[in-house]
Amino acid sequence: MMMNRRSLLTTALTLGAMKAFPGLSYAQARPLVFATFTGSWEEAHKAVLVPAFRKANADAAIVLDPMLSVDQIAKVNAAKANPPIDVMLHDPGPALLAIGQDLVEPYPVEKSTYYKDLIAEAQEPMGPAPFFQVVGLTYNPEAVKTPPTSWADLWKPEFKGRVGITNLNSTLGTGWLVEIAKMRGGSEANVDPGFKALEELKPNLAAVAANPGALATLFQQGQIDISPGNFNAIQILKARGVPVEFVAPKEGAIAFKTTIHIVKNSPNRELAFKLIEAALTPEVQTTLMNPPYLIVPTNSKVTMGGEIARVLARDTAELKKKFVFQDWKKINEQRSAWIERFNREIKI
Amino acid sequence: MGAAPASRDVTSYGMGLAAPLALFFLLFFVAPLLQLLWLSLHNDTAGLHWGLGQYLHFLTDPFSLGVLGSTLLLGAEVTAVCLVLGFPIAWLYQRVGPKLQTIIILIVLLPLLTSVVVRTFAWIVILGRQGIINATLQSLGVIDTPLKLLYTQFGVVIALAQVQMPLMTLPLITALGRIDPNFDDASCSLGAGSWRTFFRIVLPLSLPGVIAGCTLTYAAAITAFITQSLIGGGQMLFMPMYLYQQASTLQNWPFASAISIIFLLAVLAVVSVFTTLGRMSRGYGGA
Repeated sequence: MMMNRRSLLTTALTLGAMKAFPGLSYAQARPLVFATFTGSWEEAHKAVLVPAFRKANADAAIVLDPMLSVDQIAKVNAAKANPPIDVMLHDPGPALLAIGQDLVEPYPVEKSTYYKDLIAEAQEPMGPAPFFQVVGLTYNPEAVKTPPTSWADLWKPEFKGRVGITNLNSTLGTGWLVEIAKMRGGSEANVDPGFKALEELKPNLAAVAANPGALATLFQQGQIDISPGNFNAIQILKARGVPVEFVAPKEGAIAFKTTIHIVKNSPNRELAFKLIEAALTPEVQTTLMNPPYLIVPTNSKVTMGGEIARVLARDTAELKKKFVFQDWKKINEQRSAWIERFNREIKI
Repeated sequence: MGAAPASRDVTSYGMGLAAPLALFFLLFFVAPLLQLLWLSLHNDTAGLHWGLGQYLHFLTDPFSLGVLGSTLLLGAEVTAVCLVLGFPIAWLYQRVGPKLQTIIILIVLLPLLTSVVVRTFAWIVILGRQGIINATLQSLGVIDTPLKLLYTQFGVVIALAQVQMPLMTLPLITALGRIDPNFDDASCSLGAGSWRTFFRIVLPLSLPGVIAGCTLTYAAAITAFITQSLIGGGQMLFMPMYLYQQASTLQNWPFASAISIIFLLAVLAVVSVFTTLGRMSRGYGGA
């Protein structure tokens, strides 16, 4: 065999490339890819959901690829015929986008063991909700002596320059604006009263964060004392010793269904279904409800306990009474116009 | 294995070695850029109807133009701060002993060795209500209530200036190092004071470095998504955040593409002004 410099170089380059991009050679049979969210969701899923899934499915290979909902949609959209993701996780707004763009498969409800045990709000035929995210009031108990009870408390003169909010890029920001609008007589179709209320909130606003994660930093730095906040994000801060407390306002805590979907054209459809089934089981949901995760369950067979029972709801009946679900179909219709309006009007 | 022709001209270079990079560039930069341009020329989000609607929307909208303007202004402010603070450091570097030179270069390079995210978080700690600046001023009794530094234009400019400083200082150090120190002595012996020497000799001769530093700092400052959003917050909208909002949150890719193309052209215009200045300065320096 003749071995010249050129063929040696080619071989070396090829071997190097295969080493650098191991996906190149194994593109055909890839493990199940689950795009969860970054941060605490990833930790929770890696520690609880993945082991439960692997135990039930003979150690099937699975990869977590954490990213934002909108990025999941962009990635799948870029390769619809051969999607790089098998299971997507979505906030309500992006979920409707994904369904609208024909990126997800209907959930095989008749095959599912646990779907019928979910509370009614979580039963979504295009992809069930394995847990809820809850938004309420977050405050610093060292600075705010009387715990707030209502969204309206944010407008109190004593919080001049102490309130933080996020812009409408996030589900939290948009959902909160809709809730404020509702409090003042508006609805998902009419957020004008919400924008008027924001105008009146300006003297109190200390910061408009670019994303909900930035609110946490602002609490840590003492930049803000009170804000709308995500229940789970607050638990993480609390665990790290930051003085923050969460209360559900009397108007009701905003609940977002976080739905889980099988991606259309996924080569791992069966395993994807199995993973979602695992996420719906009372066992996984109970473990995730307990510390340190404190994720609100959707399976009605789970008995509420701990911090969730104390702060949010003791059982499904109370949960339904205290949670406010929003119509994201309506919200999505006008969301881009609201974002534009927020960009223009909210300058502090 | 073929031997190289004996009559090969040793002063010419084959382009073959540049081919891998050129190909990489063509595949992963030029092609996506063309795709971006193609997408921006559509009026609907699905990319079915051709038209200039996205560009018209941007260019006739005072709000969008305002975002572009404030981004370009932000870059100018950051560049100015970097130049004013970076020049003395570079000047000092050329006039101290080798030991101090090592220390200066270490200090200049140190920010590059930590991630932008870490550097930016450090600025949150410095600028916050209970941050280092406010705590110091309060303990000195200069102020009663903490100043608002975080989430202000001032904060963004200061943080960006620190984050991008090496991009200004390094070209300046190189440019100043190339100036023959005899020019200084000649200028002095001919009766010029040190300020006159600086403005008539050192500054003109260092202009290529100034231009290079300004171009790099400017380009880096206006596109610094992380620092802009963490220090500026959610209500100070600059082009990178505007782009992200349209592309990611709203999935309006054609408009986002149009924004990127307009942003790219605006930046190219500013950079070409810098380059023109650089060309003029070469004539000036040689005169």
